[in-house]
Amino acid sequence: MKLLFRWEGALVIFLILELIFFGLMNPDFLNLTNLIFSMNDYVYIGLAAIPMTYVIITGGIDVSVGSTIGLTSIIIGVLWMNGLNVWLAVLIALLISACAGAVNGTVVATTNVQPLVVTLGTMFLFSGIALVISGGSSASGYEGISGFPDAFVQLANGETFGLPNPILFFFGIMIFFAVMLNLTRFGRQVFLVGINPKSARYSGIRVKSIIIWSYIIAGLGGGVSGLILTSYFSSARSDLGTEAVLPVITAVVLGGTSITGGKGTVVGTGIASIVIGMMQYGLQMMSMTSQETSVVIGFLLIIAVLLRLTNWGLLKKFHTKKAAVKEP
Amino acid sequence: MNLLSKIMKQREISIVVLIVVFIAIVGMVNSKFVTGKSLLLLVESAIILLILAVGQSFVLLTREIDVSVGATMGLSAAVCGLLLTSGVSGWVSALAVLAVGVLAGLFNGLGVAYLRIPAIIMTLGTLGILRGFMIILTGGKWIEDIPNYFKKLSGTDFIGLPLPVWIGLVILVAAYLVLRLTKFGRYFYAVGDNADGARLIGIPVSKVRVLAFVLSGLSASVAGLIFVINIGFVPNQTGSGMELQVIAAAVLGGVSLNGGLGTVLGAGLGAIFLTAINSSLIYLKIPAYWNNAISGFLLLVIVISDSRFQSFLANSQFKKKETAEAEGGGQGDEATL
Repeated sequence: MKLLFRWEGALVIFLILELIFFGLMNPDFLNLTNLIFSMNDYVYIGLAAIPMTYVIITGGIDVSVGSTIGLTSIIIGVLWMNGLNVWLAVLIALLISACAGAVNGTVVATTNVQPLVVTLGTMFLFSGIALVISGGSSASGYEGISGFPDAFVQLANGETFGLPNPILFFFGIMIFFAVMLNLTRFGRQVFLVGINPKSARYSGIRVKSIIIWSYIIAGLGGGVSGLILTSYFSSARSDLGTEAVLPVITAVVLGGTSITGGKGTVVGTGIASIVIGMMQYGLQMMSMTSQETSVVIGFLLIIAVLLRLTNWGLLKKFHTKKAAVKEP
Repeated sequence: MNLLSKIMKQREISIVVLIVVFIAIVGMVNSKFVTGKSLLLLVESAIILLILAVGQSFVLLTREIDVSVGATMGLSAAVCGLLLTSGVSGWVSALAVLAVGVLAGLFNGLGVAYLRIPAIIMTLGTLGILRGFMIILTGGKWIEDIPNYFKKLSGTDFIGLPLPVWIGLVILVAAYLVLRLTKFGRYFYAVGDNADGARLIGIPVSKVRVLAFVLSGLSASVAGLIFVINIGFVPNQTGSGMELQVIAAAVLGGVSLNGGLGTVLGAGLGAIFLTAINSSLIYLKIPAYWNNAISGFLLLVIVISDSRFQSFLANSQFKKKETAEAEGGGQGDEATL
């Protein structure tokens, strides 16, 4: 636990260094209002990444989350366009995103197909369904559905207590999921399933149901992310989130969650998504395009994992190997 | 039942049966689909995916994964386009492009095999790096004005088949023979099946892993070259999203993500099947936006039913063995009596 806290500490220190660096390069960067409002542009990554942490801790992965974002968005749009109350449309869309997660979880838990393959299939399936819905309702994929009522648009564009709503959402969700992961029985069971599913089953944990619930949470995360994006752009499109998969997984891994499961924190994921977002924002202020920034983010991911491995992973392994050699 | 289980065990045969049945069904609806011309077109459009899937198989066999192939392909296509438009000769550009693929694969391989970074993270990072490099190189613009002699290569026929198809076939057959017949080819299976065991019997596990990634990178750069030959220009997003399709194709063809199981032939057939689904929609008069939904659904159905069938098979074999042993024991008792 101590080590994990140190990783989050390292992330915070890195975030501060990042702010100082970009501040030196361009004093405009440190303008507090700009800095806070820039978070609006990438908060959706964190919203999807935080629940995804659960899935990765159980030893799985969900690459269908980008499709879930698009599916939620287009369902909100189409239902609203057909005369449904917009909030009812939101509720139904979120339920469907949870169902999408349940499909993933059920297949992963009840067959021995690898999670990557399952969610790869549902990634095509969900994005396909989203396209069919948008194509069938003659809202072409790239124009999208717009003209939402003001109250809905204000959801992601409004402010409460002087802070933009999406950021409040982000911190609210981060705290909720952090508490659930660390302080509830369900959270402990998620870890146990990730560390060793067999011993978890023998100690009476309902492994299948834990896995299914983790995927439901991840699907719902994609749904909330899609909701916020739809409101932020005030346009519903089936292709929202297609590029989100990789940054979302990057945020989870950079946040210190082990891709092989059993280890991870929600707060780490949250901080990591801010680190990535700030990095993009800062580099863009240094006149890099958002696609060019992916060079830096790619290196960041590799180096971060390397640092983690060299600090404890390899050293520990080396020691245990030595001990193992000595013992016999 | 016996015949059926034999077919299901041989993944290559079952995928061929699947492809034939699929083509027959589409052909019944629209006979234009089963003409030689449109089938050749199908193979032609499957070639890029097929080459990528062959390269990816080496990595999957060693129980790793390479999600950077789409970006490697994009960067290769961009490098090829830039060199050609600045007047470098075709051969030199092609060699430079292959070098790009090898370097990308080497980078991945060294990170995974020697620095012990989990493959999905390493190649995810590489994906970002290479995609960014590509945009920096091209300045975010599309590359057009590819010299005509290079574009014309796509129309060059050789015994009835265009050049890209030949390249794909040669790569497929060569990879199949190496994996099947040479001792070195079996190393890939050994490493993926049991890395520790492979190390104990003297297989250079890390080197095999690096080589697998190099081959995957190389295949991605060949795919990039063929993209330039076929399409004749290089858009910004060349190859993006390809990585997931490639893995889907390999898995469809029976290559296991758990390593040590599957053949490149299967992966190639998976690529053709995936492309067949996509290109059949026009003939079935289904709007193109149904594409993803249908491929995703089929991928899930095939993978899940395969897993169910394999576990059923394992169970029934186990039971057979058990009953055989019980009977054997009974006979033994009688004999002593």
